[in-house]
Amino acid sequence: MAGLRLHEKKALMALRSFDGKASVEDVAEKSGLAHATVMRAALTLSERNLVKIHERKWNVATLNEEGEDYAQYGLPERRLLRALLRLGGEASVDEAVREAGLAAEIVPIALGWLKRKNWGVIKGKKCMLNVKVEPSLGADEKLLATMFEKRSITIEDLSRELKQALETLRKRNLVELEEKVHRELELTEEGWRTAKKGLEITEEVTQLTPELITSGRWRNVKITKFDVAAPGPVVYPGKMHPLQQIIQRAREIFLEMGFMEIRGPLVETAFWNFDALFQPQDHPAREMMDTFYLAYPQKGRLPPQRLVEAVAKTHEDGWITGSKGWRYKWSHEEAKRLVLRTHTTAETIKYLATHRKPPIKVFSVDRVYRNEQVTYKHLAEFHQIEGIVADKNVTLRDLMGTLKTFYMKFGLEKIEFWPSYFPYTEPSAQVVAYHPKLERWIELGGMGMFRPEVLAPMRIKCPVLAWGTGLERLAMIELGLDDVRMLYANSLGWLRRTPLCQ
Amino acid sequence: MPVINLRVEKMARFLGRPVAAEEAAKWLPWLGFDLEEVGGDYVKVEYNPNRIDFCSYAGVARALKGFLELETGLPKYHSDEPKITLNVDKAVSDVRPYMLAAVVRDIKLDADDVVELMEMQEDLHWGIGRDRKKASIGIHNLDAVEPPFTYTAVEPASVKFVPLGKTEEMTPKEILEKHEKGLAYRHLIDWASKYPLLVDKHGRVLSMPPIINGELTRVNENTRNLFLDVTGPSFEAVEKSLKVLATALADMGGKLEKVTVNYPGQTLISPNLEPEKMKLRVSYANKMLGLKLSMDGAVRCLQRCRLDAKVVEEGVLEVTIPPYRIDILHEIDLVEEVAIGYGYYRLEPKIPATITVGEKHPVNKLAETARQIMTGLGFLEVMNFTLTNERIHYEFMRLKPKNPVRLANPVSAEYAIMREMLLPGLLKNLAENKHESYPQRLFEVSDVARVNRRLETMCERRLHLAAVTCHSMANYTEIRAFCEALLANMGTANWQIREAKHPSFLQGRTAAIQVNDKEVGVLGEIHPQVLNNFGIENPTAAFEIDLEQLSLKSKIKT
Repeated sequence: MAGLRLHEKKALMALRSFDGKASVEDVAEKSGLAHATVMRAALTLSERNLVKIHERKWNVATLNEEGEDYAQYGLPERRLLRALLRLGGEASVDEAVREAGLAAEIVPIALGWLKRKNWGVIKGKKCMLNVKVEPSLGADEKLLATMFEKRSITIEDLSRELKQALETLRKRNLVELEEKVHRELELTEEGWRTAKKGLEITEEVTQLTPELITSGRWRNVKITKFDVAAPGPVVYPGKMHPLQQIIQRAREIFLEMGFMEIRGPLVETAFWNFDALFQPQDHPAREMMDTFYLAYPQKGRLPPQRLVEAVAKTHEDGWITGSKGWRYKWSHEEAKRLVLRTHTTAETIKYLATHRKPPIKVFSVDRVYRNEQVTYKHLAEFHQIEGIVADKNVTLRDLMGTLKTFYMKFGLEKIEFWPSYFPYTEPSAQVVAYHPKLERWIELGGMGMFRPEVLAPMRIKCPVLAWGTGLERLAMIELGLDDVRMLYANSLGWLRRTPLCQ
Repeated sequence: MPVINLRVEKMARFLGRPVAAEEAAKWLPWLGFDLEEVGGDYVKVEYNPNRIDFCSYAGVARALKGFLELETGLPKYHSDEPKITLNVDKAVSDVRPYMLAAVVRDIKLDADDVVELMEMQEDLHWGIGRDRKKASIGIHNLDAVEPPFTYTAVEPASVKFVPLGKTEEMTPKEILEKHEKGLAYRHLIDWASKYPLLVDKHGRVLSMPPIINGELTRVNENTRNLFLDVTGPSFEAVEKSLKVLATALADMGGKLEKVTVNYPGQTLISPNLEPEKMKLRVSYANKMLGLKLSMDGAVRCLQRCRLDAKVVEEGVLEVTIPPYRIDILHEIDLVEEVAIGYGYYRLEPKIPATITVGEKHPVNKLAETARQIMTGLGFLEVMNFTLTNERIHYEFMRLKPKNPVRLANPVSAEYAIMREMLLPGLLKNLAENKHESYPQRLFEVSDVARVNRRLETMCERRLHLAAVTCHSMANYTEIRAFCEALLANMGTANWQIREAKHPSFLQGRTAAIQVNDKEVGVLGEIHPQVLNNFGIENPTAAFEIDLEQLSLKSKIKT
């Protein structure tokens, strides 16, 4: 018969040799299969109507350790009774216990049952018998003896009286009860037909081995069929963090667009983070509430004096730029303060200070800091997507085109540019994307053309298009998150089960 | 960014025609507002701090009127000749030297307007005044007092008046010690021997700048005539605040009247609402915006933004700027006005013609390689913050505290220093993921920082790689195999693994990773005490390497 596995065939053949009916144990012995394997085979065979499983259940009782003890030395109350008889039918409790040789822990049992069986009474510290001669053995004691002798008894075979006695012993916690099952297998007519035809017993293997492959013995064995639809064990691949995947994708897009990657320090002087970007020293963004300043080390060094003076003059009165400037006294010391950079634009402007010749296209996707309480919306530490295009004839429209291309490559189709404000760019805009699921516009970040007040001290003569947009916001859209903290929670479950970004 | 809640019904009064919330929500972003919330009968918007003139309905409405072309070009502000005099005593020069003033007559305010006036005042205090440091404003009921007024400075306990919102008289000294505004702003004057005070002809107190007004001149719905004062140590900020405030009140229906301000040796007429003029080369605007606007076209764009312009020479416009536009510093700011007037939505994005060659930064190439190997070895990447605290970073790791890069103003004690190594973060990750199945193998390729006085910023950023393996059988042999696989595949030459000691690792199962006899990392089984400190229950083996030390071909500077 097709589709029978080796152990099922073996079980079937063994049954045939027993004239079609045998216990599981017999089949196991005959076939050489384990008991559990025979049972498994029997279940499959019965499902296929080749075998019928007859089950018989019964209950057996055996004595536990304490029960065996009492069986040999007598129940505690019997031993106390005998001791009292020896002492003339009345004695102090202590004396009687000593005479009976009872262990301390069974004294209450002995006294309790002596009273219950009405063999004696306890008055104060005295113990008196109600009987003059020793009563004969009760049903409980007879059963105890029988069980000790036979090791185990079948409960169904006991008389009513003995069943009651067993109940007493069970309540005294002297016996263990167990259900026994006897299974007998019997070939059905269909089973007979199959078995009579005879079955080819070929070896079956679950795992191919080098030995089977190289020896060619695989030709003579049967390879077990698996339930291929059954769930397999779970494995997790090693992979990049989802946010890292998005960082890599963002880098890749800029590289595809011909941008060069730059990277700078996490700690910056206020000079590069703010002053070089025409952010006045009393600008609210520079306050302790928004920026992390360092307690150690506190101050850094400023770049060459010519550059510093140009920046200072531009802040104070506009220098040669034609601007009004911010009209205050610029402080060197303020500019030396060290901060955790609040934007990667600090790196961009530093790059421009030493690379003046257009065309320039550089970018970074890197870490920045803001002094913010960490909430579902805000982090104190996150990433910025930063870049510039500096060339003779680039315009605001080129900036829009660059950013639009970047976000289209990320799959964001509906992008708009709304007017905005940054101290270092003019015209400025913010990039917004329409989120079809949330049905609203999401701010992605800022952009603009560097102000003449920013460019002049760096001696840059051409327009510079610049942007600094949020990575985490983009990641939340891509990953469908509504709590930004998830990106840094490192929940293994989330990391393991989040599919790769494509 | 400051927020203003605009009810359409009130907005309609300013616009002179009804406006729906959706219509306002459609156009406001193109003027530079961020939409916060759009309701049935209101729009809540954020505005940028440079456009502090958006702090009132009047300010938003005049911009929107131009944008919707209901009224374009320069709004005109007339002010009557001065009738009232303000004397500035030289005593104030040591504490808060400047005051300017204006009078607003015949204004009608409802309860809502009074609230708006207070909100405007607060926005100006923040936006221009830098929390009253550079300038602060007082708005008074003119009819409660009698001019001429005197701005002077007095001994802290020499006068008494009832401050706004109180019923009992207090001296300036008591106000700084007890009044909530006194406590909040005392640092602006408490260092001076005399405190600023604005009084009338009879010595009645209008205000104690920049702390609090007097109850006497409180403004309510019945107030018809206003006296505005602005004080500060920055004349610039004082003047700007007054311009924004006075023009808004004029738009709210008040009649402006000048004030004669007598400084010692100098007399000013305030407010100065004369529009400023600035030149704009249309070719410059076209070049920056990628447009081909004609002179007329550029003028129309500017007028839509409530500026005016006329041709003064070939290709050059003279632009007239309304007094409330205090944000215009440079010709480039006019270029942006042209762009906004043209409509950002009409600017067609294009791809720059600039051709350059793309290139990865060498440090990031290194990071990419390391990530590729570690993921290939079955490790899962985690990303932790670079900010941490000493308890986790040193104490838990059985390390002596060092002198790391430390924040002056941490937002919480949890994030107070910059990490010098990645391992503590990974161990914390293991501790927080005990419910997930094992083995757990994690890695991080990221930044650490340390003090380095040779650098401009005194701090150095380095790229590290750390990896942990955590399960019931994790041990040195396993992590060593992974570490060797990494080194071999990074193409590192001359590396050695030598016995070493490290307080975070088990002695006898700790090694140093050396490249060209220089120590670049550590490797071993994490010390059980460290595991206990973090609450990790499984044996854990780990390594951490300074990746930049592995790249021998190009020594990378950061």
